[in-house]
Amino acid sequence: MYLGIDVGGTHTDAVALSEAGVAAQVKVKTDRNDLLASVNQALVSILETVPAKAVRQLNLSTTLSTNAIVQGTTEDVGMLVVPGPGIGAHEFMLCRDYHVLNGAIDHRGTETGFLDEGQARAAIDSCRAGGVRVFGCVGKFSTRNPLHENTLGQLLGQDADYVTLGHELGGRLNFPRRLATAYFNCAVWRVFNAFADAVEQSLASLGLGHVRVNTLKADGGTFPLAQARRMPVQSIFSGPAASVMGIIALCDITRDSVILDIGGTTTDIAVFVDGQPLVENDGIHIGSHPTLVRALKVRSIGIGGDSALSVLGETVRVGPNRLGPSLADSVPQGAALPVGARSTLIDALNCTGACSHGNVTASRQGLAEFARQHSIQPEVLAEQAVLAATQAIYTATQELLAEINDRPVYTIHELLEGRRVAPGRVYLMGGPAKAMQSAVRQRFELFTVVPEHFGVANAIGAALTRNTASLELFADTEKGVMFIPALRHRENVPRSYGLKEAERDAMNHMLAHLSEMGVFADRDNAQVTHATSFNMVDEGRTTGRNIRVKCQIKPGVAFALAGQGRA
Amino acid sequence: MHEAKTSLGIILFPAFDWSISPTHPEREERLLYTQDQLKEEGLFDIEGVDEHKPGVATREDVERAHFCFPEVEAVATRSHLVAAGGTITAADLVMSGRHKRAFALVRPPGHHAMKVVHGSRGFCNINTEAVMIEHLREKHGVKKIAVVDTDCHHGDGTQDIYWHDPDVLFISLHQDGRTLYPGSGFPAECGGPKALGRTVNIPLPPGTGDEGYLMVMERIVLPILKDFAPEIVVNSAGQDNHFTDPITNMNLTAQGYARMTELLKPDIAVLEGGYAIQGALPYVNLGIALSLAGLDYSGVREPAFDAVKHRQRADLAEYIERLCDTIPNVYFHPPKEPADGFVVPQDSGEWFVRHKNIYYDTDDITEAQTEELFLCGSCRGLLKVVSRTTKNPACLGIEVPLGACDACRSLGYSIFEEAQVKEGYRFAQFINRRDKEYSRHGF
Repeated sequence: MYLGIDVGGTHTDAVALSEAGVAAQVKVKTDRNDLLASVNQALVSILETVPAKAVRQLNLSTTLSTNAIVQGTTEDVGMLVVPGPGIGAHEFMLCRDYHVLNGAIDHRGTETGFLDEGQARAAIDSCRAGGVRVFGCVGKFSTRNPLHENTLGQLLGQDADYVTLGHELGGRLNFPRRLATAYFNCAVWRVFNAFADAVEQSLASLGLGHVRVNTLKADGGTFPLAQARRMPVQSIFSGPAASVMGIIALCDITRDSVILDIGGTTTDIAVFVDGQPLVENDGIHIGSHPTLVRALKVRSIGIGGDSALSVLGETVRVGPNRLGPSLADSVPQGAALPVGARSTLIDALNCTGACSHGNVTASRQGLAEFARQHSIQPEVLAEQAVLAATQAIYTATQELLAEINDRPVYTIHELLEGRRVAPGRVYLMGGPAKAMQSAVRQRFELFTVVPEHFGVANAIGAALTRNTASLELFADTEKGVMFIPALRHRENVPRSYGLKEAERDAMNHMLAHLSEMGVFADRDNAQVTHATSFNMVDEGRTTGRNIRVKCQIKPGVAFALAGQGRA
Repeated sequence: MHEAKTSLGIILFPAFDWSISPTHPEREERLLYTQDQLKEEGLFDIEGVDEHKPGVATREDVERAHFCFPEVEAVATRSHLVAAGGTITAADLVMSGRHKRAFALVRPPGHHAMKVVHGSRGFCNINTEAVMIEHLREKHGVKKIAVVDTDCHHGDGTQDIYWHDPDVLFISLHQDGRTLYPGSGFPAECGGPKALGRTVNIPLPPGTGDEGYLMVMERIVLPILKDFAPEIVVNSAGQDNHFTDPITNMNLTAQGYARMTELLKPDIAVLEGGYAIQGALPYVNLGIALSLAGLDYSGVREPAFDAVKHRQRADLAEYIERLCDTIPNVYFHPPKEPADGFVVPQDSGEWFVRHKNIYYDTDDITEAQTEELFLCGSCRGLLKVVSRTTKNPACLGIEVPLGACDACRSLGYSIFEEAQVKEGYRFAQFINRRDKEYSRHGF
């Protein structure tokens, strides 16, 4: 039995399922000040129908780290920064204890300026004097050569509660993002670990001590809780990914498709290429800071079932404001409409007959009143509201597709022969999915699918999401070095080392790392996503090869709930 | 996070699958470290700085700028069409208002490609700036354009294309032709009879550093630009003036490049040469990009920089100062007659005739060319070029310019028709910019 819990902003959804189907599902209100209580409540309800012994795995998607950052309950971090030449590091001042140190590494990983250890010691002392216990050490081009970061790590020694070294966050180039990611990883480290401890205690007391616990990431995968304790920043914004993975579990997606998760406040739009969810080139933003945290490419727009209707001149609009729940949800049966009640998209859908959700009479009365104020026929208003919402979703989808198709490429082959993404189907999920289906079909002029269980697809996605991993390998045969930053693995390679060997090494190291963490990863799901080798030439002579390989375990689900998707 | 003061669109197209030959300076690796540097700096995360995908130039885009013999497809590979397409994208970004400025970081370069193209010279087949300029005129109605070529080599291709064009001001700063390829670019080369003073050459002595370049910028380039008042300023931003460049002898630094860009304020910058791909390009490109975006570039410093070693020699300042005193005269007081060529009376009227011998070093082609400009009283005049090379027999190019008068237009048609009837030419190309007609003959 697989358990999935998605702790969302409003609701906490939980399911228990096996290959036979969904065995139990619950929805409880999220207590924003005590997420653990929400998790426990969900677990207890599930265990009413499912025996604890039957549960093998729990996948948890939580807004804990996000909340900590938004509410400012993170802890002070000491940042030791080695920027070298280029854009000044003071531009990226993230916190009070932010120390810029002398030293430089260039794009090939050559040390072009020594790290000033005296300066580093003084910075560390100053942080400690201020009570700082967690540190981020980040250097420019540390993913090419981690020398300075490693030295800083050694200088910090055992006398720090936790240290994030920039290159551990992965091999991608982007110094400001590496800085921000290391900072946030340190900032939420303590609060996440406290939560993880509490969850493990709860599980033990509920007889679930034997369960393997994974945490969801934003890239449509999970990682073991032990790993999440070291890289809590990766657990941020996993909510949209849970929904997208839910669709994969419920429907057999094989071609280019659009996924619409229509919620209460927002609609999340995702795109699948050849049945695979697209991952963002860069990482997500935390606040105003771009990071290296990989995420599925999801666009959110402010249109959902509870989005308020408004009329501007002749135009009917939906959202982006949410002024409260729909009349259908908020007005008790038989009660009079409150003064100043605002109709929402759900109310409009109730009026057009697309659904009959909650108090339909209240929806009709409210909309009629609103229409009268603007001298429009209620039927026309309802219809136009649904059209406007669909149009906004359609426009945002087209923009997302244009962005995907216009993303920069760097070879002539890709530029001239690269394939364009052209979705042939739309999958809908979330509360108003069924009600919006026909309007979406008419606007997109595409085949639409609403799977069964569309209301808890997020928790199903959470339950079934597989482990993912990705890493970058960088080799320079002139220097005779191969380096995998995420694993902190550096070894000497012969001059004959080539792309084939690099691809093999990248894959083997990734799979070995997963098995060390106790994760079974199917080799078939591992793929090389980028592999280039450049001849380096000096004075007309080839001096070596500059090799870059990226590989990943594809996002996917443990199994699909066969036959549960339907048109 | 910080924000660009002037929004900047960057077209970064390193063409990772194209080279002239595996160890040629113009090879796959050339922009690899530049891309690494720009990515590591997080340049594209800065508000107002965006990366864009290049377009692909069409045959027509190229024919607006060139006579290609035997045809466009034969002299331009897909890589050249993408580089030219990248500059067109840059122009569109600026003209549409999407960005205030644009930087086309594309390869291969283009500024040695002349009006007539039989192959590659100085690593250039298609003049990317010229393709862009003609696009600016054709699609965006821009009339006056200035090109400031800061590549270390004389931009002889761009000079040749705009030799007779009074609406395109071409200024080239380069290492003195007596010491470097292509061996041209002296102040006496100042444009054809209809465009005297609209070509300004500034040959600088080997060893010129930041100080000298900035002096030339302030005392020659900026005053001329102010007077000419172009609608668009294009910078052919070659990066081979750098002190580490393997094939030139100058002393410019990344800081110097950035400061020069800050003074020039180009609307569009296009990468040209520059082959110190590890020690210079990543830093120079970063400096130029930051400067274009109005951001602080003071931290950009190449690892090999040595303030003492890379200072300009004291004796050069005096020489450069003399240049600054005299060269502005080329623009402000041009000679009455062109230095080369002569006027030939024919039945149709007077023609200005030049003979040129051109060597294509990259492709080893020798060309003998006769260029004739009809000295029209009411327009820029019909252009006729007859070219013979070691590769192609006699070829004819005829161009009816933008804004041509009726007489030049019909004269162009009659010469082209006559050429087809008499069959004296293996290939003939007719370009009518006025009516956007492009035809070829002889395939």
